[in-house]
Amino acid sequence: MSADAAPLAENASPEDPSVGEELPTFRMGEFLAKFPTDRAYCRNHLWLLTTDRQEGGEPIYRVGFTAYSRRLLQDVYFLDWNVDEGQTVDAGASIGEIESAKALSSMHPPAAGTIVTLNPAPLADPSVINAAGYDAEDGGGWLYEFATAAPLLDAAAYVDHLGGVWETTQRIIKGQANT
Amino acid sequence: MAGKLTVVLSQSQGKNPAKQALEEALAAELLMDPEIDLSLVPHLVDMAADHPGLLYLRGVPGDAIVLSWLFPRAAFWTLDRQDVRGRFGVSLLHGFEEEEATPGSRPDAPGRSLYCLDLRDSDDPQEYLTEIRRIAKERSVPTVGLSLGPASGGRQPPERSSSIATSEPQGADAPRSPTTFEEPTTRRWYPVIDYDRCTNCMECVDFCLFGVYGVDGDGDVLVEQQDSCKKGCPACSRVCPANAIVFPGHKTPAIAGADGEGAGDFKIDLSKLFGAADADPLKQAAAERDVHLLRDGRDSVGMQGLENRVKDDLDAMLDGLDALAL
Repeated sequence: MSADAAPLAENASPEDPSVGEELPTFRMGEFLAKFPTDRAYCRNHLWLLTTDRQEGGEPIYRVGFTAYSRRLLQDVYFLDWNVDEGQTVDAGASIGEIESAKALSSMHPPAAGTIVTLNPAPLADPSVINAAGYDAEDGGGWLYEFATAAPLLDAAAYVDHLGGVWETTQRIIKGQANT
Repeated sequence: MAGKLTVVLSQSQGKNPAKQALEEALAAELLMDPEIDLSLVPHLVDMAADHPGLLYLRGVPGDAIVLSWLFPRAAFWTLDRQDVRGRFGVSLLHGFEEEEATPGSRPDAPGRSLYCLDLRDSDDPQEYLTEIRRIAKERSVPTVGLSLGPASGGRQPPERSSSIATSEPQGADAPRSPTTFEEPTTRRWYPVIDYDRCTNCMECVDFCLFGVYGVDGDGDVLVEQQDSCKKGCPACSRVCPANAIVFPGHKTPAIAGADGEGAGDFKIDLSKLFGAADADPLKQAAAERDVHLLRDGRDSVGMQGLENRVKDDLDAMLDGLDALAL
């Protein structure tokens, strides 16, 4: 399933741990992006689901693209990392590249922290990002494990954030499309 | 009638079905054309120096059309980097006017023409086929031009003046297949220098702390250690005052070798949304360099060496392009 092909099916997705719940949503034109409440979010459109492990006293999260970022990307064709496992990065660091049907973009961490492991699944087949974008199990569409002590948003706060940036996002995308 | 025209299709990276469909449609048509000698090679940037596809390209004596997923300027200087040299052939795709400025070539480049067509310019195979056939026709008609005389100081004679030959008869039902050089490649990342723009100012040599740039015996800057280049880092391109450093695979058109305003459907850049710092090019370059210094276990140096750079018009232009690619 791609975010594009089945825009309203996020709730029914078998990999979604929040099936049955009334999830926080955000409407992007005709697309309704949904956000599971079992995990945290950051302003640059990633989710972070805690693991039971720690690194250097900081909790380790599995990190992936939210439904919002997947909708903007659409089908992912390629991704590549500029960082090694175990590497410490600053907020805003360019850690990789992603190419999709609609976009070519650098990737950046949720905050300052440590890239603990890189998920081999999307490196082998990037389409897992679209097919199982909220799946934090092995083989799922998460991107990497990340240790950070930075404060994060809950789903409701992330949706509030989206409300604040949606106009600008549209302007950015339309501005590029017209150049 | 000139001899067969060499057409080289450099394939896309990744598994984009739309790109693969265009490549297949073009290959199917070009294979049927008795005037065309078609070869398929991997992505130009990814072939190592000893890749059979590059060995083949170096052996092509005359004019050639290279179809790739790169800006023409990027493809031309990537070929130059790989010792595949010639003059920049003018393509009329997208109504390009012959009077417009085109990239030059090295003074000692052979007189043959390399036509670099960007496969992102159109998703209609017919547009490329029309242009390829126009070029084939153009080169079969001798024109009075500088390239017809002996190349002054050139190492090799211009090919087009001696390219009058008869094409070999080809049975209509003879099975045809393109020459393919499919040895696997991995994605590579390195700069190529546009020697038409490079002023030999040595800013790149000073800026890059990974030893990518060097100086040849004549004192000219060159990409000496391309595999020392840090994947994803385009920082030297941002600091080059002449915008002469091209990273053919970079997402920003100005860095990937777009000439002025790019045509074609570019993909949107979500980097700012995904957390890229909103900085001026020099600060961006310093941050990019720092990521890779830290990765190598070295100390970050920040804006060291860049403090006194005064923004000139080209910097301002690059800023403008970056702002567009927000």
